[in-house]
Amino acid sequence: MEAELELAERVVAAAVSAGASEAEATFTVADRFSTEARGREIAKLEQSRGRGLLLRVFVEGAKASLSTTDFSDDGLRRFVGEAVEAARFVGRDPHAGLPEETPPSSDEGLLLYSPDVREREPEAKIEEALALEAAARAYDARIVNSSGSRVADAAATLALVNSRGFRGAYRSSSALRSSGPIARDGSGKRVAYHGSAARSYAALEPVETVAALAARRAVEMIGARKPQTMRCPVIFERDIAAHVLADVFAAVSAANVAVGNSFLLERVGTQVGSELATLVDDGRLPGGLGSSPFDAEGVPTRRTVVFERGVLRTFLYDTYYARRLGAKSTGNAAGGGIGPNNFYLEAGTRSLEELIAATSRGVLVFDTIGFSTESVTGTYSRGARGFLIENGELAYPIDEFTIASDLVTMLGTIDAVADDLRFDSAIVSPSFRVAEMTISGN
Amino acid sequence: MEFDAATFDAVLTSALGAGDYADAFYERRITRSFRLQDGRIHEAGVSVASGVGIRVISGERAGYAHSDDLSREALLRTAHVAALVAKDRSAHAGIVAIPRAPGKPLSFYLPDRPIHLEARPSTYVDLLSRADIAARAFDPRITAVNASLSDELQDVVIATSEGRFVRDRRPLVTLGVQCIAAGKTRGSGYYGDGARSSIDYYFEHTPEEIAREAARVACVNAEAREAPAGEMEVVVGAGSGGVLLHEAVGHGLEGDFNRQGTSLYSGRIGERVASELVTIYDDGNLAGERGSLSVDDEGTPGQHKVLVEKGVLRGYMQDHLNAALMGVASTGSGRRQSFRSMPQPRMCNTYMPGGDSTFDEILGSVKRGIFAKSFAGGQVEISKGDFVFMLAEGYLIENGKLTAPIRGATLIGNGPDVMTRVTAVGNDGRLAARYYTCGKGGQYVPVGVGMPTVKIASVTVGGSSFGG
Repeated sequence: MEAELELAERVVAAAVSAGASEAEATFTVADRFSTEARGREIAKLEQSRGRGLLLRVFVEGAKASLSTTDFSDDGLRRFVGEAVEAARFVGRDPHAGLPEETPPSSDEGLLLYSPDVREREPEAKIEEALALEAAARAYDARIVNSSGSRVADAAATLALVNSRGFRGAYRSSSALRSSGPIARDGSGKRVAYHGSAARSYAALEPVETVAALAARRAVEMIGARKPQTMRCPVIFERDIAAHVLADVFAAVSAANVAVGNSFLLERVGTQVGSELATLVDDGRLPGGLGSSPFDAEGVPTRRTVVFERGVLRTFLYDTYYARRLGAKSTGNAAGGGIGPNNFYLEAGTRSLEELIAATSRGVLVFDTIGFSTESVTGTYSRGARGFLIENGELAYPIDEFTIASDLVTMLGTIDAVADDLRFDSAIVSPSFRVAEMTISGN
Repeated sequence: MEFDAATFDAVLTSALGAGDYADAFYERRITRSFRLQDGRIHEAGVSVASGVGIRVISGERAGYAHSDDLSREALLRTAHVAALVAKDRSAHAGIVAIPRAPGKPLSFYLPDRPIHLEARPSTYVDLLSRADIAARAFDPRITAVNASLSDELQDVVIATSEGRFVRDRRPLVTLGVQCIAAGKTRGSGYYGDGARSSIDYYFEHTPEEIAREAARVACVNAEAREAPAGEMEVVVGAGSGGVLLHEAVGHGLEGDFNRQGTSLYSGRIGERVASELVTIYDDGNLAGERGSLSVDDEGTPGQHKVLVEKGVLRGYMQDHLNAALMGVASTGSGRRQSFRSMPQPRMCNTYMPGGDSTFDEILGSVKRGIFAKSFAGGQVEISKGDFVFMLAEGYLIENGKLTAPIRGATLIGNGPDVMTRVTAVGNDGRLAARYYTCGKGGQYVPVGVGMPTVKIASVTVGGSSFGG
């Protein structure tokens, strides 16, 4: 990692000599592998080493950044100079600048890197993609096609250096198995998807599990109907529950709060969510895909309780927005903005099956399409598919409907949380139930 | 470094090996951007993407590798990795000699004006400040203005084992403004405009116009009530209504989904898939539009394609790989986000030409429904064809008149189902403002959409208000 640190140091020095009062460089090198099988054949095989440099410069409180893949001496000199020059056209901002304190933070115990990602031969990964595809197709005679089964991984080194003397580097890895089978019957085609991601191959769901979950989803949707327009409880299954949390994350991001782009303005210290809504951002979960020893500015990551039994305790900050809003960085700086570490809803004690059994009439949602949430009001509306629940049982599959409410109401009426939390992405959630939403269908 | 035919010869010869086809895509893209927040320039950015992607195709298999190291050794190494996918050596004897046509720069995007390669930062700053002032002056309810401007220039060189050698230079400017207004509730409005042009575009399309439109939408939304729920008549507004075509039909006609048989439109060319009022084109040749291409990312010239003609499915959009496997010609639809990604068949500018009805006739014919004036975007699931499009500005229609504005809601329908329910097409066809970006398989490319005002007999509107 010394070579990566040295390049970052050189760039910081170049920025300072070009006139920057402060500078910070992040250099990443990532080896990526990806293969996709369709039918009995490999359809795609991609393998590359990618390098990237992100430089932030400050010229007396004015900020500019450079993102580049041009590592030639000429290219670095020219564009570092251009970034410093561009900063002269930026407004001075007393809050802009590097963090005052960046105590050392080790990646020990975080389990960010697993050697099995690089040790595993490409042939083994290709075999695995073929096996995923075969297992998905073998699951049911109605699985007749697929959008592909994929195995992918990455091993990266990140080096961060700033002109105040911070110098840190760590390695990380990730692996993914996914399958996208298509079921067909007289009524048409249904595609489904299931993926499993982790820091190591060893921690992934087994091939058979990934394939079976994806195939089951595709087959289950055969014969889906459009439901009646109604109000009823909605259970969000874990992957989709995580999408809801992504909207909540955007609203607690100080970058959005500072410009009025959040429905949670002025709500800190108040009860927003139900008693079951404890939401945490934790950068130090061992093996977490959102874990790291320090954030993009070198600030040590930590565990931050954002909602405690429904009470909004804090927004999430990087150094700049913390200064601007009179708070302390929570270690959430990410690529020039604010990002999640491991952001999650604390798990409950009941199984998803128990949640369903405790719902006399409602909807289980396991997929949504669309992405518009009105950030300033929290108005929420999505296309969805899932199951109608009647008398505590899954009655029949439903699709081509929407679910709607607003995020404040949804957080406030979470009335059951399942125990199925798994850390397979940076934003994750157990399944949960919202007491009432509007289903728009027939 | 400068790429010449000799470098590419060596790289492609090495890459082709046992494959059927190989291509190399060199890119150098420089993007300069400025952001305004709280009445001042908040930050500046420079972004440089520079590298080569090498692809080898062998039957249905595609191998890909890329490198930001442009040395000959690194490129040969990259070619070797891309070639690993080709396995059947015996089947491809005979593809050896690679004739070259001399490359010459194309200047499709700017017939009358040279590109100002080095616009001064003060020009960007001035444009953003003007947007800020105009937005705040529009209405005292405006509480926040965020604006951003980006100026991109992408130079590409594309070489293929079939002897194609093409250079292209692609400018793209985008100015976007988001306003927040405080009224009965808080409302947000976004508007943007841009073009495949230099920053000079904003001499004619002023930042004031863009900012006022964003401010107007924010003020409308600050007085909006909850959208209704249920199936109802929907009048889709001219311009950004083209998002409907892009989602309900466009993606389903991309060559990869049809070659693989995963789209609901697979194998249906010549069949009726929409009301006979519906004709849809995808055009890569519209001057200045975001989705326009003098050549695509495989070096094929951009084209005008008839997708649907009077309700009948006429053709798919193809890149090289899928066209070859389906035994047809590429339609110049092979696009990629950057040198790090393989090309995919993608849309360019997708639109419907105008019909006969006037806007007032269409509106007057609706007893109870909504007017979906503009859209923030959409998404589709291509196997069954269910798609959504998301309201950015909408109104209730009661007895042929626009009444209250409604908040953001998702509309859902099934592609062919909705397209057969098109019961009126306006005479006001136009392209939407130029700020749409399309995502597919993790790759984002600029696109254009357009449509006249259209009435759909029944669509499910995903608001939260119903009953009463």
